[in-house]
Amino acid sequence: MVTSSPVKLWRRQENVVSLIEKRGKILQWTMIRVPATSFMDQAPYPVAIVKMQDGKNMIGQLVDWQKQDLEIGREVVSVLRRLRTEGKEDVIYYHIKFKPI
Amino acid sequence: MKISILGAYATRFGELWNVSPRALAREAMENALKASKLKASQIDALFVGNMLSGILGNQANLGSLLVEELGVQIPAFRVEGACASGGLALHNAINSLRAGQYKTVMVLGIEKMTDHSPDEITSALMAAGSDEERMAGTTFPGVYALMAQAYMQKYKVTEEELASVSVKNHYHGTFNPKAQYQFPITVDGVMRSAKIADPLKLLDCSPISDGAAAVVITSKNITNKVLKQINIVASEVATDTLSLHNRKSFTSLSSVVEASKKAYKKAGIKASDVDVCEIHDCFSISEAIATEDLGFSGRGEGARDIAKGKRTLFKGDIICNPSGGLKSCGHPVGATGIKQIVEITEQLRGMAGKRQVKGAKIGLTHNVGGSGAVAVIHILKN
Amino acid sequence: MTGIIGYGTYIPKYRLKLSEIAQMWGKESGEACKLMGEKSVPGFDEDAVTMGIEASKKAIYMSGIKPSDLQSVYFGSESHPYAVKPSSTTVGEYLGIGNNYFAADLEFACKAGTAGMQVTVGLLGNKNINYGLIIGSDAAQGRPHDALEYTAASAACAYILGNKQSEIIANILEMSSFSSNTLDFWRRDGAKYPSHFGRFSGEPAYFTHVIEEGKNLLAKSKLKPKDFSYCVFHMPNGKFPRSAAKKLGFTPEQLAPSLIVDKIGNPYSASSMMGLASVLDIAKPKQKIFFVSYGSGSGSDGFIFETTKAISSKQKKTISVLKQMENKIYISYPAYLRQTHAI
Repeated sequence: MVTSSPVKLWRRQENVVSLIEKRGKILQWTMIRVPATSFMDQAPYPVAIVKMQDGKNMIGQLVDWQKQDLEIGREVVSVLRRLRTEGKEDVIYYHIKFKPI
Repeated sequence: MKISILGAYATRFGELWNVSPRALAREAMENALKASKLKASQIDALFVGNMLSGILGNQANLGSLLVEELGVQIPAFRVEGACASGGLALHNAINSLRAGQYKTVMVLGIEKMTDHSPDEITSALMAAGSDEERMAGTTFPGVYALMAQAYMQKYKVTEEELASVSVKNHYHGTFNPKAQYQFPITVDGVMRSAKIADPLKLLDCSPISDGAAAVVITSKNITNKVLKQINIVASEVATDTLSLHNRKSFTSLSSVVEASKKAYKKAGIKASDVDVCEIHDCFSISEAIATEDLGFSGRGEGARDIAKGKRTLFKGDIICNPSGGLKSCGHPVGATGIKQIVEITEQLRGMAGKRQVKGAKIGLTHNVGGSGAVAVIHILKN
Repeated sequence: MTGIIGYGTYIPKYRLKLSEIAQMWGKESGEACKLMGEKSVPGFDEDAVTMGIEASKKAIYMSGIKPSDLQSVYFGSESHPYAVKPSSTTVGEYLGIGNNYFAADLEFACKAGTAGMQVTVGLLGNKNINYGLIIGSDAAQGRPHDALEYTAASAACAYILGNKQSEIIANILEMSSFSSNTLDFWRRDGAKYPSHFGRFSGEPAYFTHVIEEGKNLLAKSKLKPKDFSYCVFHMPNGKFPRSAAKKLGFTPEQLAPSLIVDKIGNPYSASSMMGLASVLDIAKPKQKIFFVSYGSGSGSDGFIFETTKAISSKQKKTISVLKQMENKIYISYPAYLRQTHAI
């Protein structure tokens, strides 16, 4: 239904670059077990609202996590990962996700 | 200027496989006309509330399409605000009457969801959220689950207490012949249902439904001697950030607080004056928080008050969701806001049958879009 | 003179025990598991590019330069995310290096990265650039039930080369390359898994190129194995580098610190480069390092490095290969299939 737009990806690059390798703390998390179509093959996965060091909140998928990482206040760092499994001929979206440190 | 409801009608909600969107619209509008004792030619304009027609069915221009089902070529508009589309359509219709542009209009809320796969629908519903939320892989249940986590931690509320919302609404649904689900459920049943987004489980979530509801409103002085005159005394809207994570609180919807404050002021009432209320319980947590935002319960007491029965038919003080709410009656997204009006109208007219709230004088509808990005509050009096 | 001014490595967190693979296919563990116990597996959403970016960031940090100082990016891999669309510019963009840089992707099986280093030396020597970034990164695919399944691993290694003597931690004293058309291991366009021809990968392929290049390097430099503190060879498995070292006259002690294959398997384009990094993690100033990579198809890139005084302080600005190898979570065989998109 939604095919990746190379234009959107390109337009957003600069902003994404500035968001890599930034630290924050988990404010709230949930485990998504019934995801949207394009995330089907990754479920279940945790999503967290993260309070970044600059005071702003961000929302993102948690990666490289273990059960003990899923708690309020856990320190995380933003990393660049593939967003989802796209069609075989689609452009590849890279996006910010959060990794416990 | 008084805004009165002439006729109101809701179709059955559910998985209406063999009913097309046009047929749904026809049923709702024809019966609303009948209840109003009007002909289509007496309607000045049609307002349609719908969220997913373009996204799922590739059909825009809904105003023009559905006015064909009315059989008259009158001005027609589609209004969209995610799950608040119905309420927002009514708000705009009321504004058109207040502006003197039209005198009598039909407002139709309609949604056809079951033509599409559950995956498609889950993705489509995320159109109500933000791009950041979508790209984080969040789903609609996921966003409300984040609220539920925050609420449960802050107020030490348990999953069982939250489950009582669904239990209450299913109990109410047993008295509603139009409800999608007309059977009771238990807290245990909710607890054992499959997890969707922790801590929300399948039975904490409203279903996917088809349905339509229509209401005819007028600014003319028409009195029907048989039916009680129902007036809309307040119609207020407020917005908040699209993304949950940009809000000041995860345990309260400021859009609801703001819209209801304005509505109470307009109507000249306090929260405790409300007799019966239709609440937007897209998830069990939504109703718990809503009763606090609307001022029925204190902060942190919403879920517990529901568990104690304070919002239940026949025993509570402010009865919430006598129709069964979104959970039991069903949630055809664009139709819900108007169905809520239909329910309150029937309650205030004393025509709600087995689920009648005795002596209901003041009713409120609470319709929310997305995770709280927009809220529409209507107050009705007889 | 041109040399390494910084490096960075990235090993994904997940490990698959080789005994799990053996168990899956009903094999006795035997010889393979005696030398290597586990291999690194990428996360579901990791690929050669995301790993390459992680390694590059660490290299930039160690080098002490700004991203915009980089004037070339060469990305070597056999698992580029696209067949047509350079990984090098994706990395360049997400590192924020600007637009004024040379860039290209390289493929030469496991020596794509070291080939990139040789190209960069050329640009530096010709003063076209002041700083160049080279990445060797692979999310290697091993065909289920094939011998290579036990070794195909994932990791990324990045080097920044420069000309400023005060910044160089290891000078490049000598470099050369030995190439031929030897078809021991290949992957056709569109094929998911590579193919190989069993024992043909040994003598005619790996050993011919590594030993010949090794001999060339020694002859060119007029040095002997005992002049070196360390030696590094491409590590397709635990046996080959040990055998090559012995054949060329190096001792097990000279080879030992580089043997990442024992802990994480063979991350293809990152293999020899990471072996070098694990040596640089512990090397002292004024030590010579003998280095020969190997890429199927076939070729070997040889380098002689000599560390400088500057290495001691820069070693503090890295997360060592050893530390990253120990930072791990074990996963099951089905999880491995899922994470490598086999199912």
